[in-house]
Amino acid sequence: MKRLEQLKNSGNKAFVAYIMAGDGGLDRLKEQVQYLQGAGVTAIEIGIPFSDPVADGPTIEAAGNRALKHGVTLQKVLEEMKSWTFQVEIPLLVMTYLNPVLKFGVERFASECSKAGVSAVIIPDLPYEHKELVQPHIDKEGIKLIQLVTLTTTDVRLADILSGAEGFVYAVTVKGITGSRDEMSEDVKAFMRKVREKSPVPVYAGFGISKSSHVDMLRDDVDGFIVGSAIVEAFNDNRIQEIEPLISAVTATHSV
Amino acid sequence: MTKVKICGLKEEQHVKAAERADAIGFVFAPSKRQVTIEQATELAKHIPVDTDKIGVFVNASLEQIEDAIARVPLTMVQLHGDEPDELVGAIQVPVIQAFSIRTKEDADQLKKSIADYVLVDAPGTDYRGGSGKVFDWSLLDGADIDPSRLIVAGGLKPENVHAAIMQTTPYMVDVSSGVETDGRKDTAKIQEFIKQVKDDSMEQTIEKVGFFGKYGGQFVPETLMKAVKELEDAYNEVKEDPEFQKEYHHYLSEYVGREQPLTFAQRMTESLGGPKIYLKREDLNHTGAHKVNNAIGQALLAMRMGKRKIVAETGAGQHGVATATICALFDLECVIFMGEEDIKRQQLNVFRMKLLGARVESVTKGSATLKDAVNEALRYWVSNVEDTHYLIGSALGPHPFPTMVRDFQSVIGEETKRQILEKEGRLPDAILACVGGGSNAIGMFYPFIKDKDVQLIGVEAAGQGVDTDRHAATLTKGTEGVLHGAMMKLLQDDAGQVQEAHSISAGLDYPGIGPEHAYLADIGRVEYRSITDKEALDAVISMSRLEGIIPALESAHAIAEAEKQAKTMTADQILVICVSGRGDKDMATYAEKLEGLS
Repeated sequence: MKRLEQLKNSGNKAFVAYIMAGDGGLDRLKEQVQYLQGAGVTAIEIGIPFSDPVADGPTIEAAGNRALKHGVTLQKVLEEMKSWTFQVEIPLLVMTYLNPVLKFGVERFASECSKAGVSAVIIPDLPYEHKELVQPHIDKEGIKLIQLVTLTTTDVRLADILSGAEGFVYAVTVKGITGSRDEMSEDVKAFMRKVREKSPVPVYAGFGISKSSHVDMLRDDVDGFIVGSAIVEAFNDNRIQEIEPLISAVTATHSV
Repeated sequence: MTKVKICGLKEEQHVKAAERADAIGFVFAPSKRQVTIEQATELAKHIPVDTDKIGVFVNASLEQIEDAIARVPLTMVQLHGDEPDELVGAIQVPVIQAFSIRTKEDADQLKKSIADYVLVDAPGTDYRGGSGKVFDWSLLDGADIDPSRLIVAGGLKPENVHAAIMQTTPYMVDVSSGVETDGRKDTAKIQEFIKQVKDDSMEQTIEKVGFFGKYGGQFVPETLMKAVKELEDAYNEVKEDPEFQKEYHHYLSEYVGREQPLTFAQRMTESLGGPKIYLKREDLNHTGAHKVNNAIGQALLAMRMGKRKIVAETGAGQHGVATATICALFDLECVIFMGEEDIKRQQLNVFRMKLLGARVESVTKGSATLKDAVNEALRYWVSNVEDTHYLIGSALGPHPFPTMVRDFQSVIGEETKRQILEKEGRLPDAILACVGGGSNAIGMFYPFIKDKDVQLIGVEAAGQGVDTDRHAATLTKGTEGVLHGAMMKLLQDDAGQVQEAHSISAGLDYPGIGPEHAYLADIGRVEYRSITDKEALDAVISMSRLEGIIPALESAHAIAEAEKQAKTMTADQILVICVSGRGDKDMATYAEKLEGLS
């Protein structure tokens, strides 16, 4: 995860790709990771399917349901990742709801993630107040817990969350759930500037980033972008090549 | 946060002073603080329900210990003698084993204990069970003892407890002589000691607020945290506000038609030949069920917060109808999410909601029942949180919902208590209520929680049987997990995926249970049983024909279990059933399932 810090210092933007593990079968995960790595993404978030994904929109929920039909579980995903022999050159993150982690056992989750080469985890329904359920266990393994901040996060909370932030901060660009949007509201820019000013770690914008125009609008106010629904959809429709321009739009070195 | 145990209490005033403690210790072994089981039983009546009651023994027999557990009752046992592992293992409640620590070798002994918790103390002098001498906490350094099972005692007092916690980060601290003056407990010192631990704890573990034991919490996406916190603040404010309470009760009486009778069910009583049976008539509420009690309370709160848009989920449609009704009354915009499966089962209620001006959104995802409707309502709330209140219908969801819904439904139990005292001059022996998410049950039970002689029974839906995969018996078959913002008990598979529930009654068709119920089940205060679809349908017929009351399918579960329970009771006893709703909404199901009825 140090690399993300270096990237920020170099002034280049990060592109974090989200994929739903096991959408189309778990054997596809490896090729998807390899593909995205080859396409130049900065890091990959591997989503674990969950029966009740309340923070996700229809695209990712549908992908999760397809994965569940393939019998994909947290354990199987981590086993799959452990079996990989190709060179993983970028940070891999796991994004999962809390319940599968609790059922798996938090301590075991931390050690298995470590063995699977996971650098950080994102748990969208584990708010800052309850992070001690997980944090001490992953700390032992040197894995980061990525915090989310949103437009509705109050200033007092924001200061608390940012003071303990590690890896990067996931800044939610819309008030709603994940999914592609046509517009990006103007107050998002101001919010991003505020977060970035206070954050000790890079700030990435996510939830609803699907177009180069979104990237252009926020480029100067964030350190990177997280793209989920657009990638999940593209993989599902077998047209992932169409995402490449978006990746380049983010990662290309820009001269101002 | 480190817990506090106040040990060696003998007087009621000191038990009351220790109200904020997490555990109270009664010493049954020879000591100047010794109490009899009878004394402990009396004192225990003044201890809050979620406080552990711990009996301290020295080389007592298993029979003596079990007797005390049953009679006081005790929730934990603490052993100070040379009890063998067989005895420790045979005790049914969690066990604390105490060790006197003089040397590093003594500290090593701790690790071998098979007890749930180990207590470290300075060596005793005259009596076993601790002497109050200061124990050298540094002896524990490097002993590699799991702090989550460590209890520290020995010479603690308000002035040094903070340092002891800093050094040992224990699960609990235990004090006795440190809160005494001249050998007698001292109210001010007890309170100061608790304050030192509670208000000054540096451990940032889970906040106790919003939890029932380990259940509850606020497990929601960050987007909702602001709304949940605002709701928490707003609710704390109105809870104490007499104006709000007046307004709420005004609508309960003038609009809902409260108070509802506690009807003596004469023919049912005669037919079963057991206890006197009373029915709490929530079926008589405007809109036909208890749900409206909560809908009014939350709608008034939403308006106080300046929110005029309401989103809600519904299973059987009773909560949806109640919410749509109240939104019409107060001119609020209303969106109701309802599973497609439930829409089919509850056509009449869907039409009622529409007639009342609500928008009904069909949910086709997952099992297309209540769980999925909650998911969609939560998503809608996430996207519209600034101007919308989520009017949750059961004692579920992130804090403060479970507490708030319970409080708004407690009118059921409060009325019942007053009415039974008027009619019978005493409290009932048993109370039954059906449990899906658990709102009518918690509202009925809550005012009776501290009345230990009243047996409380929650009745879940066993669907086609708890040994099939088609049931909704969460407490009978479920395990701990997080769903819809709270830690609770869930029907889930080995991978932590939430499973579909099944019940003929849409209102009980939920794979979780409110966090307070999960807690009450754990501590054994409420017993949870289950009733199958078929048994519930049979109870619909018997209640209709014996009392002229056609109950809702949900309520029929409580009635069916009451029929069984009554057979174990005698004529001088009293049983109360919460008839949470009327059967109008279920007529299509009754007509279909009971076809050919003669």
